Amino acid sequence: MISERFKNTILKQLELDDFDIQDETKANTVPGWDSLNHVNVIVAIEKEYGVKFKGIEVLKCKNIGDLQKLVDSKINQ
Amino acid sequence: MIPSIDFSKILEILKYDPKDPLLFGTITFFFIFMGFLFLFNFVSLSKSKPKLYLLLAFSLFFYYKSGGEMLALLLLVAVVNFLAGYFIFKNGSQSVKKLILVLNLIVNIGLLGYFKYTNFFITLYNDVQGTQIDAFNILLPLGISFYIFKALSYVFDIYYESLEPVYRFDEYLLYITFFGNIIAGPIDRATEFLPQVREGKTPSKEDVSLGSLFIISGLVKKSIIADYISQSFIARVFDEPLKYTGTENLIAVYGYAIQIFCDFSGYTDLAIGVALLVGYNLMNNFNYPYIASSVADFWRRWHISFSRWLLDYLFTPLQMGLRGLGNYGTALAILITFTICGMWHGASIPFIFWGILHGFYMSFGLLTKKIRKRFTDAIKLTNTPLHKFLQIFITFHLVLIGWVFFSAKSMENAFNVFKQIFSFFKPEIFGQFYEGYPGVTIFLILGVILVFSPKRAIDSIRTNLLKLPLIFHAILLAITIWLVMQIQYADFQPFIYFDF
Repeated sequence: MISERFKNTILKQLELDDFDIQDETKANTVPGWDSLNHVNVIVAIEKEYGVKFKGIEVLKCKNIGDLQKLVDSKINQ
Repeated sequence: MIPSIDFSKILEILKYDPKDPLLFGTITFFFIFMGFLFLFNFVSLSKSKPKLYLLLAFSLFFYYKSGGEMLALLLLVAVVNFLAGYFIFKNGSQSVKKLILVLNLIVNIGLLGYFKYTNFFITLYNDVQGTQIDAFNILLPLGISFYIFKALSYVFDIYYESLEPVYRFDEYLLYITFFGNIIAGPIDRATEFLPQVREGKTPSKEDVSLGSLFIISGLVKKSIIADYISQSFIARVFDEPLKYTGTENLIAVYGYAIQIFCDFSGYTDLAIGVALLVGYNLMNNFNYPYIASSVADFWRRWHISFSRWLLDYLFTPLQMGLRGLGNYGTALAILITFTICGMWHGASIPFIFWGILHGFYMSFGLLTKKIRKRFTDAIKLTNTPLHKFLQIFITFHLVLIGWVFFSAKSMENAFNVFKQIFSFFKPEIFGQFYEGYPGVTIFLILGVILVFSPKRAIDSIRTNLLKLPLIFHAILLAITIWLVMQIQYADFQPFIYFDF
């Protein structure tokens, strides 16, 4: 489940007022989250939670829900 | 008296002939394909397994007819990647998975490098060192860049856990060797293609109608427009730009944008069309590339299956690895990706320069995005219709500059095109052009209409045509083939992307 903190980090990075983000939402359907901006969103999430992802971990994520789960798993480590 | 059939002549037609490859759009192809379709539809009445084997046999024959003994290399690549995918999936350790992936990349890229770049590097070495090492006698296997990328995508998808390996080699082999996309793409993904193999779909009436329309569209674009304007005008100018005025060079530059679109999207239409006739959906490669609002947007619309490959398996991993450098890391990832993109297209300096140029466009665009936004905000241009028009206009011309290098045999030729445009421009030629090249003018205008027609109009024409009975599509196809035979300027020209 997408947390408010996680969602707000994404919205702030993409300079969006609001956007409905669900577990199944694909990154490329969020306005501004294109291939060039992708890495900026990842870095913003890493900074927000003080975590560091491995490249392969992010590349395996199929949707935003997977990214949230990845953050959760890193925090709980 | 019953006429006797000369089987030796039929065998001759079916044999490998490097001078007569089996190209979509040729009479030989249609003749053989019709025979195959008859058999396929007969077999379609039964279960899916014979259909799979029939498609596989035709695909292998299709490749053999044009590629000869290089069929063995295609099969080797298929086996290597099948095993790599299997062992990556079966292995629990991430580091072993990575090792298998890297080894598999070395084998595949090594093969591609050997066949495509050995002589290029020998020439380069000779030029730099002043040596005279003889070039090797290496024949470029047909479609190698496409099928290696397709096979690699299968392995990458297993590595990134978006696909489970197939356990039936015959299903996998059809994915790799499918005749519809083996020579020049689209580089379809296993995730989209394999379910169709398993389903063993029989082509519906809609598939056949749509397939026929795609073939008609492909023939018009490739065999009529692209071939005619190329041979009657553009190729002549680009071969010897100094023999023509700046005006003719300029028209050739704009014309080439039409030619390459009609050539490659025409090929893709033919590929999609013939695949539909056997019930398979291939991905589309084009989405109005010349109305792109940025070079990045252009790459989301041009050769989509290839740019998606680069994005997923090269650019994004690079970008992730370089993320510590911020936007500079992304810019560097873009430059590396597009240099490789240029090299993939061909082993020559102009291709590599073309790739680097696109990389530079996009990196520059990324690094100046904020400044440009501030500027357009200040002059109240942001998001206005004029802004949109300027974005499309500038993007189109940046792409156009790139095409000059893409089409050039040497850097000198490319620079001579620009030299003529800027130093030997004769505006009066515009008025005389139609008199000199009436056919080229007509087909250029037709090409412009095709390239820039609104999507709604094209969709509406297609929907209305699809409502007509199947017999109408068959007649329309027969008329188009007849028209192609009448208009065809000379022999059928290989597709531009055929050489890659």
